[in-house]
Amino acid sequence: MSSIELDSVSKRFGSVEVISELSLTIHSGEFIAFLGPSGCGKSTLLRMIAGLETVNGGEIRIGGERVDHLPPGARGVAMVFQHYALYPHMTVFDNLAFGLKNIGTPHDEIARRIEEAARILEIGHLLQRKPGQLSGGQRQRVAIGRALVKDPKAYLFDEPLSNLDAALRVRTRVELARLHQQTRATTIFVTHDQVEAMTLASRIVVMNARKVEQVGTPMDIYGRPATEFVARFVGSPAMNFLPVTIRDRAGLATAVLGDGSTIDTAVPLDILPTGDLRVGIRAEAIHVRPDGAVPGKVEVVERLGDRTHLHIRLMDGNTLVAEDKGVSQVQPGDTVPLAVEGATAHLFDDAGLAYHARQ
Amino acid sequence: MAASEHIVGRGIGNKLILLSVVLVAVIWMLPIAWTLLLSLKPNSELMISTASAFHPPYTLKNYTDIFQSSGVFRWLWNSAVVSVGVTAGILILSSLAGYGFARAEFKGRDIIFVLVLLGLAVPEQAVIIARHQMFSDLKMHNTYPAIILPGLSSAFGVFLMTQYFKAIPKDIDEAAMLDNASRFKIFWKVLLPLTVPAQATLGIFSFLGAWNDYLWPLISATKPEMFTITVGMASTQTNFAQSEGLGFLMAQAIFAGLPVFIVYLFFQKYIVRAVAGAAIN
Repeated sequence: MSSIELDSVSKRFGSVEVISELSLTIHSGEFIAFLGPSGCGKSTLLRMIAGLETVNGGEIRIGGERVDHLPPGARGVAMVFQHYALYPHMTVFDNLAFGLKNIGTPHDEIARRIEEAARILEIGHLLQRKPGQLSGGQRQRVAIGRALVKDPKAYLFDEPLSNLDAALRVRTRVELARLHQQTRATTIFVTHDQVEAMTLASRIVVMNARKVEQVGTPMDIYGRPATEFVARFVGSPAMNFLPVTIRDRAGLATAVLGDGSTIDTAVPLDILPTGDLRVGIRAEAIHVRPDGAVPGKVEVVERLGDRTHLHIRLMDGNTLVAEDKGVSQVQPGDTVPLAVEGATAHLFDDAGLAYHARQ
Repeated sequence: MAASEHIVGRGIGNKLILLSVVLVAVIWMLPIAWTLLLSLKPNSELMISTASAFHPPYTLKNYTDIFQSSGVFRWLWNSAVVSVGVTAGILILSSLAGYGFARAEFKGRDIIFVLVLLGLAVPEQAVIIARHQMFSDLKMHNTYPAIILPGLSSAFGVFLMTQYFKAIPKDIDEAAMLDNASRFKIFWKVLLPLTVPAQATLGIFSFLGAWNDYLWPLISATKPEMFTITVGMASTQTNFAQSEGLGFLMAQAIFAGLPVFIVYLFFQKYIVRAVAGAAIN
């Protein structure tokens, strides 16, 4: 397996710059996810690595070798497409064999690799079928198999689970994780689904509006989001944001809400800028407790089984989502006292930059 | 109750539609049935009255006469050569052009495509004198290439194949590129097999069009041995009223139509799909 280095790569479509001087190193054997909303440039970046989009500036190296001038087939990568892109007129066997035949792999070697991939992906009984005779999940396995047989330097996945139903998506996600543990292959996984990115990747690249917002481990991204965008995009429900004023508490910031109630954060005062700030708190850090200091009125109760999400309007008119236990007794219309775990709270400035507690 | 009334109503509606479709089919088949009946009657009886076609005696003599005396076989062969040549040529050229317009990026592509489409608006009659002059200058009249070549410029074929290639997801090309396939291999091994339904449609229309073509073969083929079946049949009509040999002429018509009938039998599925597709689009 090989590392992938992006060195100040840029991409323009006409006069629109969709990737601007982006640099990133993906280590050998790493499973990295490009996460972001539609149109953020994540698929374009993946396609640039694959060679399906030209690069307008910068360099791409795979395994130390510069590849941005090479055609897709010469880069030694394999890609799994969102819509599978299987050859409809060929059998599953021929789909898997096509790429190997093109590089002159001997027949017995082709058969051996296909047999091995079919065993791993449990598609041995499908080899003589055509893609039209397969279910969505089976097609996805064949698409992964087509990548697997090539023994590539890196695997590129372009939203490969988005066409599967919810149950199959979860199952395939687990299989992909298992496959990566077996192969230890360098993998780039493009998705707009934060759960997929969080569960599969060892590092996540969060992208927004054609630029990288943050690169980090899933828990970094979740626990210490670099920007308001990351904080909102990662995590379900999205992080709560409330406008606050700041009061000094022995060098740490205490956030004062509009109704006068306070949240004692662990964010050092000296790193905070002047100007308007918002406090960011995840739902799981807000609980209904008799000793809670922040009162609010419950508007909607969402029961998820293992936990309950309460949509609450505070006395100052702002709203937030709090988490309660699965068998919550809270009803819409109730006024409840909320306890906020200030230690996990973050502060955000006008530009959307985050300020966290010291580690 | 209301639901069952609705179903009954729908049943009656379906029967009415079926009845009208059968009626149209019968009307459409009447001339063919009339041709078939006339072809089975002795010419001498038909000279007295064509009403004799409704009752025996019937004979196959007109058909046996085709085998013995006329140039129908030669004309059939000519039609087959021309139709197969035109069909093959259109399929090859339209596929290549369609792939080019759908996938290749080159300067002026869209303008050239529009120019090709404008070809649909130019009637054959408007250019036939110039075309005749050109083939005359080239001394090519009375040859197969002269009859075949003008038929190869199929604006419809290029349009159809372009649209079909465009409808194939580009992911497929890209997957093949990542599979190390050359551009030609992507065209030949991956995309072209996916266009078989369009090829079948275009092939059928082209074959039938070439088989039934009359004007250009009439102009280009002046020697009887180069006549196509349509020109040859017309040449056997000695006068407009056709008072003599009407049964023989009808037998020739039926015989000439047989290849088209056979093509239809084999490709019925594709023809229906092609016509339905053309209606929808």
